[in-house]
Amino acid sequence: MIKIYGSLVSRATRNLWALEELDLDYEHVSLDWAKQKNRSPEYLKINPAGKVPTLTDGNATLSESLGINLYLAQKYGQGGLWPDDDAGRARCVQWSFWAGAELEPLAYGRIREFLFKKEAGRDQALITDMAERTGPLLNLMTLSLAEHTYLAGETFTLADLNVACVVEYLERSNFDFSNWPKVESWYTNTYGRAANQKIQDQRAPIAAEMMKRLQG
Amino acid sequence: MMITLLGKAISRSARCLWALEEAGVDYEHNPVDYTKGEAKTSDFMAINPGAKIPALIDGDVAMFESLAINLYVAQNYGKGGLWPDDAAGQAQCLQWTLFSATEAEPPGAARLVQFIFRTDETRSQEVLDDAAERSKAPLATLETVLQSQPYLAGDSFTVADLNVACSVEYLVRTDFDLSPWPQVQDWIERCMARPAFQAMTAIKEKEAA
Repeated sequence: MIKIYGSLVSRATRNLWALEELDLDYEHVSLDWAKQKNRSPEYLKINPAGKVPTLTDGNATLSESLGINLYLAQKYGQGGLWPDDDAGRARCVQWSFWAGAELEPLAYGRIREFLFKKEAGRDQALITDMAERTGPLLNLMTLSLAEHTYLAGETFTLADLNVACVVEYLERSNFDFSNWPKVESWYTNTYGRAANQKIQDQRAPIAAEMMKRLQG
Repeated sequence: MMITLLGKAISRSARCLWALEEAGVDYEHNPVDYTKGEAKTSDFMAINPGAKIPALIDGDVAMFESLAINLYVAQNYGKGGLWPDDAAGQAQCLQWTLFSATEAEPPGAARLVQFIFRTDETRSQEVLDDAAERSKAPLATLETVLQSQPYLAGDSFTVADLNVACSVEYLVRTDFDLSPWPQVQDWIERCMARPAFQAMTAIKEKEAA
């Protein structure tokens, strides 16, 4: 049985979404980092850095949320999350790295200000700077979405899933998408998929609890 | 149909040249020079509208993002070598490639920028020290893993090693002292001694000359 480690308020949600898209049986182990469950000797054996998420599947053990999704798509999503054509597959790999290397540093930098700081303490200059540097990245997505409905072609694939779970950070930190309507409607379609909705419904009460704790 | 790698060698294209050399495939190298505006031409931007190198063309495949290109090369041309045959090894290759992008490269690149684009006088010691500090956690993770196996995905060199080594190499090139992580030091030396790495270095040297 596939096991995914990491709470619903961690990057494990990206993997839970992919697992739901693929309709796989899996066990979710919700290691609470606030309680240091990620530092237990058993967990450090499968993830020496003590980070979440980690996935185990038979002999395979891996960490890195976007890498886990590539693994799941390649192994279980042939013809769906993982397209049949070389060009589509190349785009899935490309957009996954783009999400991790280009977009996430900016999007995460932004949401960190919103999550871990109260309104008065937020670094507005940093938020503005990050928003300005995010624009060209959303332009790039717009160009791709002008060519086809989804990032790798005409159907929803792993490229959309891995990019959407990073765009989520912008959405959750009130980013103004009005200059990028194609990105906004793509995000609404993508993020609102039934498989993700199921995970988001489970996540909502836990996230609300966490926000109450962080924002008091 | 011939593979074409676009991007001057002295850039992140180097890691893709290394991968192509490891895979032993025929390829053409078009050293698109971003410093001369060549990444902003409409031809290049048809491949990467983000106007960044490297990019790769292979038949009807056109893609960007250096580490993604290397995964593509490994999966399509490196079966049983760069791309291992077993699911566990393949999972490790994906994991370590993302680890390189999200954990290892940001501090390494921050240091390299100071060395390449600044002079001795204008180099920021604060940035270098901060990046050195941030390198410690990913190096500790690598050290732990390399204590029990010679390469990141197991017993042989794979794209996991290549994609992480090209980030750790940034530390080597910026006089970072790796001696507190002896397994990492030994591993990066083995990676950089490979004939394919040397072939890539020769391409860079020729370009610089």
